[in-house]
Amino acid sequence: MNATTQQQVFEIIAKQAKTDVANVKPDSTLKDLGIASLEAIELIFDIEEHFNINFPDQQGADFDRDTAQSLVDAVDKALADKAGAGEGAA
Amino acid sequence: MQALPLRRVVITGMGAISPLGVGAAALWQGLREGRSAIGPLRHPDAERLRVKVAAQVPVSFDPAANLDERILPTLDRTSEFALHAAREAVAQSGLEFANHGLGLRTAVVVGTGVGGETTQDEQSRRLYGENAQRAHPLTIVRLMTNASASQISIAYGLRGPTFAVASACASANHAIIQAAQMIRCGMADAAVTGGTEACLTYGALRAWEAMRVLADDTCRPFSANRRGLVLGEGAAIFVLESLEHARSRGATILAELAGSGMTADASDIVMPSAEGAANAMRQALDDAGLAPQDVDYINAHGTGTQANDVTETKAIRLAFGEHANRLAVSSTKSMHGHALGASGALELVAAIGALREGVVPPTANLDRVDPACDLDYVPNVAREMPVRAVLSNSFAFGGLNAVLALRRAL
Repeated sequence: MNATTQQQVFEIIAKQAKTDVANVKPDSTLKDLGIASLEAIELIFDIEEHFNINFPDQQGADFDRDTAQSLVDAVDKALADKAGAGEGAA
Repeated sequence: MQALPLRRVVITGMGAISPLGVGAAALWQGLREGRSAIGPLRHPDAERLRVKVAAQVPVSFDPAANLDERILPTLDRTSEFALHAAREAVAQSGLEFANHGLGLRTAVVVGTGVGGETTQDEQSRRLYGENAQRAHPLTIVRLMTNASASQISIAYGLRGPTFAVASACASANHAIIQAAQMIRCGMADAAVTGGTEACLTYGALRAWEAMRVLADDTCRPFSANRRGLVLGEGAAIFVLESLEHARSRGATILAELAGSGMTADASDIVMPSAEGAANAMRQALDDAGLAPQDVDYINAHGTGTQANDVTETKAIRLAFGEHANRLAVSSTKSMHGHALGASGALELVAAIGALREGVVPPTANLDRVDPACDLDYVPNVAREMPVRAVLSNSFAFGGLNAVLALRRAL
């Protein structure tokens, strides 16, 4: 389950970074991958759309330090919250 | 630099519809009291939205008051705001545009970021959401970006150069500068100018949410705990005249619009550049014939986003050098919110108030010092001090900077 989430997130990141998915490592920062601020916001949108989740607002997220794995963890948490809330659509 | 004998431009009327109430006096009074108009978002879809707070024009504002009922159906909310603000400004100026052909010598330039967004949203909802077969026949005249400028022109018989200016959050300042330049170079003797915005629609709010720049609590410019900007709405409109025109009729001069600066960052579509902003401030000082030490107050762009507040602080240091330590700098967006294309106009009311009364409005909600924001931001309480000259900054997404320089009335 975790591996699947990771795989999917890494593929979305690779697409945004226009790089091969093999270049995305758990500890790669978005900055390492050449993803600047506006692209990072787009990336978050792509991930939210893909998993049908909402990340909490994170004004001032640190794109220099946020890693690929931290996004995977955030997706897992959002999926768990969603399952826990028994939320349908919305 | 200044070889041409340009005319001087003064402000003789102002009006506003803002989250702090109806009228420029209500806006200024609220600002000097440090009162924030930011509150829970009022919107039919508020339950579904993640945006929780906004600075909205109070429900007591009656668009129909004092307006010809025949034109009401032709007005988007942006034009309602603009017409009410213009009425107040024109009345204060005492100008009679029908006399001596003044109407033909008067320009109208109104800034707006997106124009008739409320109309656009309503009609899209009808067509896409409710599968309506036809749009309302007045859709185009309501939503066109120049509607506010045209409505003001029609209401007062102003037949000079009339158009809208759009540069996102710098729209009002760009518009006011255009109007002032036309008077300066002799193309017009008077102008009605400012900015208007009313774009708190479901679609626009969703779009802002997606950018992740909105605060969920309140607007805290320059404070370490700032969480982003808070959207606002409103309009402020001004009457500008050449100095000789105002003097010849014995008009009360509110302030001199002494100069301006406009630059583009030419770098990132959203991340601001300190150099671009600093160059606009330097230009405004040069254009006004002001030295850095002549300026006592800067009404900052001060949106409350991480990026703006640090970059603007750096830019002020670049433009003002050592004098930056003696400047009072405040962001009134902490109280009237970010009215986007109208924000520079609302902030000009603050700048004029500071010059006229010797009171600098505060930065509200500034309760935690950010080491990266190290100027005197006049936290939370207004300050009485002599104010000889003011800069008012507006910086826009797209990397566009427009700065006004004002001097106390002569």
